[in-house]
Amino acid sequence: MTKSLLHISLLAALALTPIAQAADISLLNVSYDPTRELYQDYNAAFAKYWKAKTGDNVTVKASHGGSGKQARAIIDGLDADVATLALAYDVDQLHEKGKLIPKDWQKRLGHNSAPYTSTIVFLVRKGNPKKIKDWDDIVKPGVSVITPNPKTSGGARWNYLAAWAYALKNNNNDEAKAKEFVGKLFKNVPVLDTGARGATTTFVERGIGDVLLAWENEAFLAKKELGPDKFEIVVPSVSILAEPTVTVVDKVVDKRKTRAVATAYLEYLYSEEGQEIAAQNYYRPTLDSVAKKYEKSFPKVNLVKVDEVFGGWQKAQKVHFADGGTFDEIYSK
Amino acid sequence: MNLNKKLIPALIASALASTAYSSTALANDSAELEELRALVQQLEQKVKVIDRKSELAEEAAAAKKKETPVVKASEKGFGIQSADGQHEIKFRGLLQADGRVFDQGKQITQKAASGASTAGYLDNTEDAHGTALLRRVRPTIEGKVFDKYDFRFTPEFGDGKANVVDAYIDARFDPAFQFKAGKFKPFVGLERLQSGADIKFIERSYVSSILPNRDVGFSLHGDLANDRLSYALGVYNGVVDGGDNTTSSDLNNSKDFAARVFATPFKGQDNPLEGLGFGIAATYGDVTGQVKDTVNGSVTELTTGYKTEGQQTFFQYNGAGVLRSGIGENLTATGGPGASWLVHADGQRYRLAPQAYYYFGPLGIQGEYVRESQAVSVGAQNLAKTTLNNDAWQLGVSYLITGEDASFKGVKPKRNFDLNSGGWGAWELVARYSELNLDDAAFSFGALDSTALNTTLNGKAHYLYADPKASAKSAHTWTVGANWYLNPEVKFALNYSQTSFNGGGGNLSGSPTNTFADLVTQSDVRNREDERVLLARFQIAY
Repeated sequence: MTKSLLHISLLAALALTPIAQAADISLLNVSYDPTRELYQDYNAAFAKYWKAKTGDNVTVKASHGGSGKQARAIIDGLDADVATLALAYDVDQLHEKGKLIPKDWQKRLGHNSAPYTSTIVFLVRKGNPKKIKDWDDIVKPGVSVITPNPKTSGGARWNYLAAWAYALKNNNNDEAKAKEFVGKLFKNVPVLDTGARGATTTFVERGIGDVLLAWENEAFLAKKELGPDKFEIVVPSVSILAEPTVTVVDKVVDKRKTRAVATAYLEYLYSEEGQEIAAQNYYRPTLDSVAKKYEKSFPKVNLVKVDEVFGGWQKAQKVHFADGGTFDEIYSK
Repeated sequence: MNLNKKLIPALIASALASTAYSSTALANDSAELEELRALVQQLEQKVKVIDRKSELAEEAAAAKKKETPVVKASEKGFGIQSADGQHEIKFRGLLQADGRVFDQGKQITQKAASGASTAGYLDNTEDAHGTALLRRVRPTIEGKVFDKYDFRFTPEFGDGKANVVDAYIDARFDPAFQFKAGKFKPFVGLERLQSGADIKFIERSYVSSILPNRDVGFSLHGDLANDRLSYALGVYNGVVDGGDNTTSSDLNNSKDFAARVFATPFKGQDNPLEGLGFGIAATYGDVTGQVKDTVNGSVTELTTGYKTEGQQTFFQYNGAGVLRSGIGENLTATGGPGASWLVHADGQRYRLAPQAYYYFGPLGIQGEYVRESQAVSVGAQNLAKTTLNNDAWQLGVSYLITGEDASFKGVKPKRNFDLNSGGWGAWELVARYSELNLDDAAFSFGALDSTALNTTLNGKAHYLYADPKASAKSAHTWTVGANWYLNPEVKFALNYSQTSFNGGGGNLSGSPTNTFADLVTQSDVRNREDERVLLARFQIAY
């Protein structure tokens, strides 16, 4: 009798469906410098989406800084549920140095885990007093160039490589001439910030420099925020296709039991709404329908790819930005 | 420092004054004016750059300040961490306040004889009694140095004990290559490896009664294939079934070896089988118990007894105490055997334990089987040597009715219990079946053929290893219960457990004769009455 009762109790217990109770969930998105406005908008939209879908309340906190610096912070123990960094190399470090994500992390989301793209443009002061049109103009003596430190900033590495690619193209792929060209460029840099937003502050708010090498989205934003009467955007003849990448940080989400919501957070970036928010914040969308809608918002540029010109990020990092690499040689001169 | 705010106006004023002077002197020399303007702009830029560099230096200094050690006090516990995260010490604790109420149940007694006139008892069990107790009281200090070397020190003050539960260092040279040494849980039993704070039931099942609890030794272990396959190989002093090595050194020269592989092939994948894990573990040792005299005591290297869920002993090997006072007459008083009749380990002991769990949403299932082979013999002369094969298994199911995800680790409620905000914590229902079966040979009835033994029993048949009138041949337990997680640290648990036995009881009716004849007869073996017990726990683990 007792045994039967126990059996019935057990079956009854298992038949019970979960009692609906909204959960309060928090996520930490560790991102690079200029994505503050993008993720401010996106986080609010995702919270709304997730609430409607699951009933749970999700609060996404964001941390911003130089991309390389942010990657190191995660490796050192910052509990990031997701990392949305400036370039794939910085995300790779989460696997290589921290074993926090699998090696093949880039295959988990569309477009090699780059939901949006951008490029590098010039932001100059109204009237373009130094008549800057292309990369050749910014290596001239007397032109003050603002760019952050490639050792700490993902945007700065894109800047550097874009200049290098231009020099290669105009010098029959002569690496020595490219090195000389980029060396001249950095001689014109009076101050190195650690991140792209810091460099924007230096140029825009502190009034230093004649030209800011900037993410396209950052340049558009500066122009919008401070007025078209103060700054102009100059699109160089050649620039680089910048592909900021995103990943769930596996070790953290498994520990915090946030894998499902963190994954949904990144997947939503690829949705029509996510892509709209990216485009409205001046990031180039990857979803065709949204890209077409915002086609006129983004200037047509001859874009080169890191893989094609530099043999991928791993190689580019080793040759140019590792300790003792080309940048150290150039900047220490 | 805004140097330029003071300097720039001065420079501009100076430049303008100079310009004014120049305009008087050279009114049409606009080229010079332009030159001066450019100079001022150049100077202004230089001052701005100096200012900006100073500002960045201040920012860097502020960032460096953040490198001072971090004192932590949060729901994750208390501790201090170096700014770079390389070094950390945490203060943790586990307190379990339990209550047990028996509706019905028995336990083996150790009623001491007090002389030749006081014989033993036929009824060698007594009623189990309810109690309140502190099951676990474990303050813990743990941490890491250089982000690679973990350490842990945990004493135990609960359940009437005062000893060291864990004291080890674990070097994480690489995820695939880690080395652990000290006293810790050997990598063997799945249920045992689950933290005492995270187990779904108030007491572990019979599987953990057979597998080792904690031992002193070292282990090479690691995670392979993106954490989807873990392995462990270890060498330990060796412990008896369910044993906790409380000594710092081994009692014999032989060591126990343990190995385990455990796979979670779908971990990290968006797959219904993501929460599936399975593996197998084994231990091997060649152990000989030491039979000493009554003054120096004896070390049998065998379990001191298997316990029910209500923590009542239902099986013991024959020992000097049992023979003397448990089932027969006072043999010590009649020049009896004492240690000469002791059953002890005498040869190989191996255990094999396949194990698995599965977690899917709020559902959790955990199952484990163990088969043990143990060579034993009787007395100092190692008589009646044989190998006993015992086994146990368990299957437990848990279900979080508030919808949280179940896991091998603790439960994090979606909303903590808080009357003001309306959160009710997490609620979980649990059920488990577990049984333990002793080898029939453990209850062999025969004679020890040796003139060196007690003359009273010599050549007379009796139970050689265990007495079925005191020890059950098997125990079968159903447990149901509920866990209420008020928050990730505080839990209420309530279990109801019912155990039936095969054997383990004698004839309690009539008048026990307390004679030598009772020891040498096979009559009056009966099943022990069922145990029905309600267990409750209030726990904090931080």
